[in-house]
Amino acid sequence: MLSTLELSPQSLDAEAPVRIAVKNLDFYYGEHKALKNINLDFRDRHVTALIGPSGCGKSTLLRIFNRIYSLYPEQRAEGQIMLDGRNIISNDVDVNELRSRVGMVFQKPTPFPMSIYDNVAFGIRLYEKPPKSELDDRVEGALRRAALWDEVKDKLKSSGMGLSGGQQQRLCIARTIAQKPEVILFDEPTSALDPISTGKIEDLLEQLKSDFTIAIVTHNMQQAARISQYTAFMYLGEVIEFAPTNTIFMNPAKKQTQDYVTGRFG
Amino acid sequence: MTAATDMTSIPGATPIVRKTPKATFDLVFRNASFGAALLVLVLLAGIMASMVIGGWPAFREFGLGFITSSVWDTQNDQYGAWPAIVGTLSTALIALVIGVPLSLGIAVYLTQLAPGWFKKPVATAVELLAAVPSIIYGMWGLFVFVPLFAAYVQIPLSNIVEGLPIVGTVLYSRSPSGLGIFTAGIILAFMIVPFIASITRDMLEQIPSVLRESAYGIGATTWEVVRHVLVPQAGVSIIGAVMLGLGRALGETMAVTFVVGNANRLSASILDPGSTIASRIANEFNEAMGLQLNSLIALGCILFFVTFVVLVIARLLVARVKRY
Repeated sequence: MLSTLELSPQSLDAEAPVRIAVKNLDFYYGEHKALKNINLDFRDRHVTALIGPSGCGKSTLLRIFNRIYSLYPEQRAEGQIMLDGRNIISNDVDVNELRSRVGMVFQKPTPFPMSIYDNVAFGIRLYEKPPKSELDDRVEGALRRAALWDEVKDKLKSSGMGLSGGQQQRLCIARTIAQKPEVILFDEPTSALDPISTGKIEDLLEQLKSDFTIAIVTHNMQQAARISQYTAFMYLGEVIEFAPTNTIFMNPAKKQTQDYVTGRFG
Repeated sequence: MTAATDMTSIPGATPIVRKTPKATFDLVFRNASFGAALLVLVLLAGIMASMVIGGWPAFREFGLGFITSSVWDTQNDQYGAWPAIVGTLSTALIALVIGVPLSLGIAVYLTQLAPGWFKKPVATAVELLAAVPSIIYGMWGLFVFVPLFAAYVQIPLSNIVEGLPIVGTVLYSRSPSGLGIFTAGIILAFMIVPFIASITRDMLEQIPSVLRESAYGIGATTWEVVRHVLVPQAGVSIIGAVMLGLGRALGETMAVTFVVGNANRLSASILDPGSTIASRIANEFNEAMGLQLNSLIALGCILFFVTFVVLVIARLLVARVKRY
């Protein structure tokens, strides 16, 4: 392997299958059209970053992939998002089952009001009833993968609310991966965290992409450049440019993209 | 001192003596608010003192027997509080058992499930119910609810359970008039539901939507989100709301006096008439004198104490939940 590739994680596999295919997607908040004709492919076991100025629709797009928008009756999506050959925005999709396969980590850490152990076990218990020993193993495994095990192994029974912000966010990641989802959505997962915690989460993302397809919304362009293989630049509800991250940052095709990534606007 | 000399030593500078009117206002305001706060303590101490002094002859006469005795005999001047204490606690307990699930259901439905057009009218109705004076509940209970309850619940139920062990005692009505401890509990439940429901609804609405979304986001159903995340998250406040309702149920006088039956005897059946501390005081205060009056005041002391104990238990519960 070339040394330049070892330095940057942008080792992308152009042959990787497409895990999520977005086709002609429109999205409405009531009458307001927030996303216009989105077309994007999210490749299997790659990190795809969504960047763009505030209000460009990147979080809105992310929130469609697990149908969290369906909680709000005035929001609706039109078009196609294919996951494993099914259009996930059609009405006959079991949204709870979908959400167990498409996990989400939010901007702010959201530990549930229960113990650390139960936080991680909660998602598993919703869909499976594993024996205690297997459940223990899976909780430990998820906490290890989230790089949190060593910090919490002696206090699994204490409340998840007592952890620091960065630990809480890793707990939320552990909770998500414990369910063995195929896709994990990250909605600005480090924007509420300090730089050290941010570094830990970024290292974690790097690890996780060997098993999961990851989509991440971020305001931080360095973060997108560091951790993603593909980047979509969005502006005013449209995808302006979608390309390998190196291309977006080094040699973008559109002037708007160039202006944004060099900090001239946004 | 040095600062003052420094100032005067600046050439050409006249020292400014600024007497702000704000300082006086501040002093007045501080003392006035202190006085207001002090008044609360003085009032509480005054009420407690007069209750204890007024009730003292009864406690001295009967000792601990005042609490444990079931006799209430105005002819022979013998008084015991036990039936009223049991009545107070059991009506409040019945009210909670019926009212709390109902309130939680209303709050959860309004915050999580109700469509927009239905939310507003129900929420307003709940607020309005909280504003209905207790005498209205009492009248409605006596004239409307009691006859229906007697005809459709008490009589059929008594026929069914007659002769059975335990339920044959607890649920058997010797005089199915509709009045009784259970009726009072039901009316009290109607009265505390608006309080508990509207506070719980506010608490559930204050939970950040991102927590709710992340619970739905791992594939939990509405029931699982409510049961495992939202209610525990609002847990402390919900307990607070329940305790507020309990406080009202314990002390409620008017509506209970209408429907409780005002029997001095203690019955093993919750369908039989009974009395609560508040209803007994309301019934007898007018004509009481001497030791009877002292006994009524002593009853008031006990109600005071019971309410206090409820508050302490509430605090302990809250502390226990907070730890988690």
